[in-house]
Amino acid sequence: TAAARRPWKLFGAMCLLRLPRITQPLEKEEEEMAALMEQIELEKSHYSDHEIRKLEEEERLKRRKESLYDEDEAHGKTVIMAQDLEEKWEQKFLQFKAAPQITDADKSNDRTSLNRKLDSNLMLLVKQKIGNQELWLLPQVEWQPGETLRSTAERAMASFLGDHIQAKVLGNAPYGIYKYKFPKAIRTEDNVGAKVFFFKAFLQSSDFPQAELKADYLWVTKKELGDYLKSEYLKKVNRFLLD
Amino acid sequence: DALLGCHRSYRSRPTHGIGKFKYLLPKEALKKRKEKVQMKEISAGTEYQYGDVNIQMTSYDLCLVEHFAQYVHRLCNRLSIRVNESYAMPTKTNEMLFLEERGSKMQLDAVLTTHQRVVQIRGLSSTFAPILLEIIQSNQPEGVHLLMKQHTEADFKSRLKSRPELEELLAQMS
Repeated sequence: TAAARRPWKLFGAMCLLRLPRITQPLEKEEEEMAALMEQIELEKSHYSDHEIRKLEEEERLKRRKESLYDEDEAHGKTVIMAQDLEEKWEQKFLQFKAAPQITDADKSNDRTSLNRKLDSNLMLLVKQKIGNQELWLLPQVEWQPGETLRSTAERAMASFLGDHIQAKVLGNAPYGIYKYKFPKAIRTEDNVGAKVFFFKAFLQSSDFPQAELKADYLWVTKKELGDYLKSEYLKKVNRFLLD
Repeated sequence: DALLGCHRSYRSRPTHGIGKFKYLLPKEALKKRKEKVQMKEISAGTEYQYGDVNIQMTSYDLCLVEHFAQYVHRLCNRLSIRVNESYAMPTKTNEMLFLEERGSKMQLDAVLTTHQRVVQIRGLSSTFAPILLEIIQSNQPEGVHLLMKQHTEADFKSRLKSRPELEELLAQMS
């Protein structure tokens, strides 16, 4: 039969990405450029309503102090002055606290949490047993005849993370392929080697119950992949990863 | 005579009308008021091609949304994806009243404007669509919501304004 002739085993692997939440910090030239453009815009712009009102009230105050006229009180705009509004707004702004940008980088590189490195992509790596070795890989599961490769990848994801993950798989076509031959000890006529097809998915929800994970897992950025993956595998995986 | 010796080709000169060329161009047809609605194509098969896809970006910050829309447009140009239109939806103004009840009720007003830009694309192949989506999503600025959907007639009609007088007259006639 046709299936028996193909000596390769097929695997479907899922690369689960968590998109960055914050923009990356600007480079030195970008910052200088931004500051320059802001200054140009400020000098070129016209006064807004609030600023005009503020200037008028300042002038009125000056005139009052010099000439002690009481005419202006009849106009009655002294209820709320523009200066008071500004001070109120400034106080409110000081009360507001922005969330820290470097959250878990403080936590001594805890790579299992999703909260670290909010400005870059994070990928899921799982420790799996293949043959005799335990390796760090993208979660993969063997393909069974009769199902599409994409559903294999989804099954791989579900087996490691539980059923209800809100992840959006991108497209039906695989992103990359890695094939390797088994060491000669295990090689038979039927099983020469294996091919792993990679699919990509985006993690939609920000957090999910992490207790469901059975094996060891890590969330790593692209640069840190080199610490965990083997060189050949890493080369093929790097081909389809954007940064 | 020195004053009259200028190069203006007056009607009596033989060089009158020497620079005219508009009579040589083909005549443009006058534009009709009502535009054609849509031309949709979804060809099923091994090679999928999406019909008209709308990429809608909404945000409170005008400059950010406009710059992002420009970026998406230029990206599609470079990737040789045909861009049908890139237009803006009317802005929605929201007035926020804070009711702080600490003894005396204070009402602070804030006026927020929501801006929306749409870039319409045709001829997106389904092998390329997820890559494009990934690029756009990873370059999304903060505070901008992204929405990609297929173009429908309802989307088209939401841009048009209804004319109550015309409708009244039509109702009277029929």
